[in-house]
Amino acid sequence: MENYRYYLKRYIDTQDESALYQAEQLSKLYIQNKISPEEIINKHIQALKDLFPHLPKEIDLSMNFLLETMISYGLAYQEHQSMRKQQLSLRSEMELAANMQQTLLLTETPNIKGLDIGAVSVPAKQLNGDYYHFSTDKNGRFGVAIADVIGKGMPAALAMSMIKYSVDSFSDHHPKPSSLLEKLNRVVENNVEPGMFITMLYGLYNPITEKFMYATAGHEPGFFYDATKNEFTEIEGRGLVLGVSDDTTYQEYELALQDGDIIFLLTDGVTECRIGDRFIERQEVLEVIKHYMHLPAQTLVEKVYKHFERLQEFQLRDDFTLIMIRKQV
Amino acid sequence: MNLDIKTTEIGASHYIVSLFGEIDAYTAPQLKDTLLSLIEKQGQLIEVDLQQVNYMDSTGLGVFISALKSTKENGGEVRLIHLQERVRRLFTITGLDSVITIDSTVRGGN
Amino acid sequence: MMNFQSCVDIKKEWDIVGARQLGRERAKAIGFGTVDQARIATAISELARNIYLYAGSGVICFETIDEIDRKGICIIAEDNGPGIHDISKVMEDGFSTSGGLGAGLPGVKRLMDQFDIVSDQEQGTKIRTVKWVPQRRF
Repeated sequence: MENYRYYLKRYIDTQDESALYQAEQLSKLYIQNKISPEEIINKHIQALKDLFPHLPKEIDLSMNFLLETMISYGLAYQEHQSMRKQQLSLRSEMELAANMQQTLLLTETPNIKGLDIGAVSVPAKQLNGDYYHFSTDKNGRFGVAIADVIGKGMPAALAMSMIKYSVDSFSDHHPKPSSLLEKLNRVVENNVEPGMFITMLYGLYNPITEKFMYATAGHEPGFFYDATKNEFTEIEGRGLVLGVSDDTTYQEYELALQDGDIIFLLTDGVTECRIGDRFIERQEVLEVIKHYMHLPAQTLVEKVYKHFERLQEFQLRDDFTLIMIRKQV
Repeated sequence: MNLDIKTTEIGASHYIVSLFGEIDAYTAPQLKDTLLSLIEKQGQLIEVDLQQVNYMDSTGLGVFISALKSTKENGGEVRLIHLQERVRRLFTITGLDSVITIDSTVRGGN
Repeated sequence: MMNFQSCVDIKKEWDIVGARQLGRERAKAIGFGTVDQARIATAISELARNIYLYAGSGVICFETIDEIDRKGICIIAEDNGPGIHDISKVMEDGFSTSGGLGAGLPGVKRLMDQFDIVSDQEQGTKIRTVKWVPQRRF
């Protein structure tokens, strides 16, 4: 109080900038001590009255008027503070959920003889609505699942856990990709609200036959690189997304892999990525991939991710997942 | 990012819902409300005109799946007409063109 | 010891002003300073506006509380309106900006020292709130 009056007096006497600097310091101090705007006005009124006992009545009244108008500002400020506190606690809760999800969905890239495998999956927000999983069985077969839940954030992450546990339990019996999707589709159909759905591709590579069998449930088509022809094609395959109709059947597809051939699997966060008002075309994604083709799989997918992350100014709009499987000698 | 919705009744139990703009997480709830309230009555035919929709994300697909499920309960039908290339591709990839009626004329998109 | 009660009927927007004025005078007589008078008037405004906008009509009453070691003002707002269905929701920060019955109540709670609310779909809403005259520290 004394400080306020002192610097006010000094400013009135000298119009000295240093007095205004002190006012700024006071202002910060008041915020620290949670002093509301109306209390500051009141300080001002009291200081004025002390300094100038014979203030015109009009000034006096006008200060009361000002005080009255500041009351709601004070309330809004307090509300803001309290919501900020709530926001911080929500954020730390989300961080816990995100950590838990990461542990839950953790999948290690296996060492498969004759394959070079790389994968990157990055959520747009804290929680990931994309999912990928690698598995191997005792016959040396290698299973890969990639899925994208509609939407982002918490609901997508919850649905993701359901997928994870179902795939885990189904893949124990090494079913064909098509029958895995059929079983999974019934689980999803029974457990999600209408309007929610999941796209997924499941594939199984047999190192003995060197064939990649797969089925797709409406998943964004990936790319196949044919090393002998040196050309890229879209991975063919049709099938309804999971969660729409419980009697859906899926068709089985097959790719024979030669040395140097590559399978790229991705989610629409890669091809639907938006730069300002413009969309990335699938062709552009291919160009970027081609640019890094000489690199090992894991390095390649990370480079491609970094490229699009930078293009989107480091603010992903959608979860981004890219998997690469290269057949090598 | 905006979506304008114009509903025209063109006959008994027959509506055309024309959409203008983008269908994404922000505009989808509005579209969902419109469609579901039309389907609520028994045996409605609802044609959704997507000629002026140049962007739709998966939330938009979710709306049409909800609508589809609701027509199964209420005995109506939802048809999509005048899809732009980009939007049409979404229905093809997801296999939804096998469960939702989509007219075959393709309008050029950007 | 409870002092006498005085009440203002809230039916028109103009009645809000009457309630503010009566409350401010009471607060001043009890010994509240200018800032607290303004806070009490604002709290009364919020309560009265709620009645006027969402309940149609009601009443705001004032009591002076005079205890051995402290003095204060008690404001009671009562209406027979539709009632507040989810009080916790209404008392959440951020709700007030959305309008509707009970908007601004978190603000009232902040402006005052004690706050209690009873609401029922049939019998309307009763809010009782108290502010104490700050004790002199020296």
